[in-house]
Order: sequence, then structure tokens, then C-alpha cells
Amino acid sequence: MTDADQFESFVGRYQDMVFATAVRLLGNRADAEDVAQTVFMRAFQRFAEIGPSPTAAGWLKMVTRNTCLNHLSRYRRRWRLFSELGSASAGDEALNPEALLAAESSVADDLERIERHERLERALRALPDHQRVPLVLFHFEDLSYQEIADALHVSLGKVKTDIHRGREVLRQVMGEA
Amino acid sequence: MNAFELERFVGRRLRALPAPRAPLTLLPRVLAAARAWSQRPWYAREWFTWPIGWQVGSLALLTAILGAAAVMIPAAQVMLVNAATSLAGAIAFDVPQVAESLQVSTSAMRVIWRALVQPFLPYVFVIVVLMCGACASVVLALNRVVFGRALHS
Repeated sequence: MTDADQFESFVGRYQDMVFATAVRLLGNRADAEDVAQTVFMRAFQRFAEIGPSPTAAGWLKMVTRNTCLNHLSRYRRRWRLFSELGSASAGDEALNPEALLAAESSVADDLERIERHERLERALRALPDHQRVPLVLFHFEDLSYQEIADALHVSLGKVKTDIHRGREVLRQVMGEA
Repeated sequence: MNAFELERFVGRRLRALPAPRAPLTLLPRVLAAARAWSQRPWYAREWFTWPIGWQVGSLALLTAILGAAAVMIPAAQVMLVNAATSLAGAIAFDVPQVAESLQVSTSAMRVIWRALVQPFLPYVFVIVVLMCGACASVVLALNRVVFGRALHS
């Protein structure tokens, strides 16, 4: 297997993970794709060390997270505008219906579940960045409140407040009391 | 629902979400970018990707330049001060001559202005006003024709 083939299989293996992290943090598919490309290019430049490493997934996650946070702080205004526009359009590609349909349940249940997931995913993306980013870091990246505050350079109190408000919005979207 | 329950509830729902899948365009995009990057010569890439020999060589060169600068700066300062002193002396010597030539050229310009430009200024002003008026009327007429057609069509 040549280096090019190895890199191709490396990208194929991790692209969903990198893209999922990026799209949830950025709330925008086009920006997430750009970030994912940047991350994989960094991996390519150090492929001799990264490629065979057992910690490649962790390295990719960390680089993706940092690249997204840099991207957000650099293009905050532009990003806000596009995320608002993007939230109006469908983010349907984000769902993975095959995985859902694989579950042994009725078609109606599956459709209802897909719709619920889609609604929640859209609501998550539509959250303002100061709520969504800490929420994603907490629930998907397993960072503690303190680690999030350090990463975002904000106070611990602000992180807790923003995450709580984000959760309240999501709870309303999910229609649970 | 208190804050702890809310955290657990939302966390459970979020974790149940299927992971967004990468678009089909991502892999070809990354491979094309990697191919383009590989085709660039080594010196056009990031420094940390240079061959180790060139990295060491460039570091050694940078160190030599900095060392030479550190040694040369005091000597250069002395040379600069000497040069500045001699230049200041030359300028001080030439000041009366420069002032005289400046005065001559100023007087010449004043004479030219009074003799050639000032008498014609009112006429020039009138011509400029007339030209502006003509341009404005042409624009108005064009506007009327174009918009009139647009309204009728």
C-alpha cells in the first residue's frame, strides 16, 4: 500500500468523526468542510508520525476542536450571519437514516425518531455561538465546565449560564416539561 | 426539572443523536489538496516539513545572522553617528545657497501666476460652469428618454 493509499484510507476512517465535531461546533456545513480539510492537511504534513499512531483519533479531535475555536473567534460575525441563514435551510445530510432504520422498530416509530433527531440537530445548530459551543464541548467532547471556560477564555459562571440557557432552549424544542 | 435533571435529560438526548456524516465531496477535496501540496517544492512548504538537513542549515544561518548583527550593531552605530555628523556639516554649509535658489523659484512662479493665469481665471470659471450645465442637461435628457421608454414598454 502506497503512502497515498494509506492517507486515503486514513481520511476515510476519520472523516465522519472530524466532520461531526466541526459541524456541531461551527453550526455550518461549508465551514465544517473547510475546517476538516485543514485538519487533514495538518495530519498529512505529519503523516509519518500521525498515521500509524494509536492516538491519531485523539490528535484529530483536539486539532479539530482548536481549529474550530480559532475559526469562530476569527470569523465570528460572518459565521453568525451564515449560521442564521443556514439554520433556515435543511441540514438533512447531517442525519444518518440508515443507522436509525437498522433498529428493530416500526416504520412510524423510526420516522418519528428521525424527525425528532432532525429537530434537535437543527435547534442545536440554531443556538447562538456562545451557547452552542460550550454545550457541544460539554456533551460531545466531554470537557468539564472549567476546561470549557479555559478554552473559551471566559468565566466559569458564564459557561454555566450559557450552557443552562442552551439546554432550556433544547428542552423547549424537544417539547418536554 | 432542576439543573441537574436538565443536564442529564439534554445530555441523554444529545448523545442519542446520530453523528453527522461527512459529505461525499470531502475525501476528494482533501486528496486533491494533499496532492497539490506534495507537488510543491520543499522550500515552498512550511518550515517544519523541510528536510532535516535544511532545517538545521537554516537554523545555523539564522543564528549566524543574529550573531553577526549583535557584533556589528555597536560598530554600525559608531559609523552611523559619524555619517550623520558629516552630513549635518554639509547641509549647514549649503543652507544659504539652497535658500537663495528657493527664493528665486518662488518669485518666478509668482510672476508666471500673475501674468498668465490670473487674468484668465474668470473666463475659465465661466467655461467650467457652462460645461457643467451642458453635461447636466444632457444627462437629464438621456434620463428622460431612457426612463420614458422603460415606462412605455
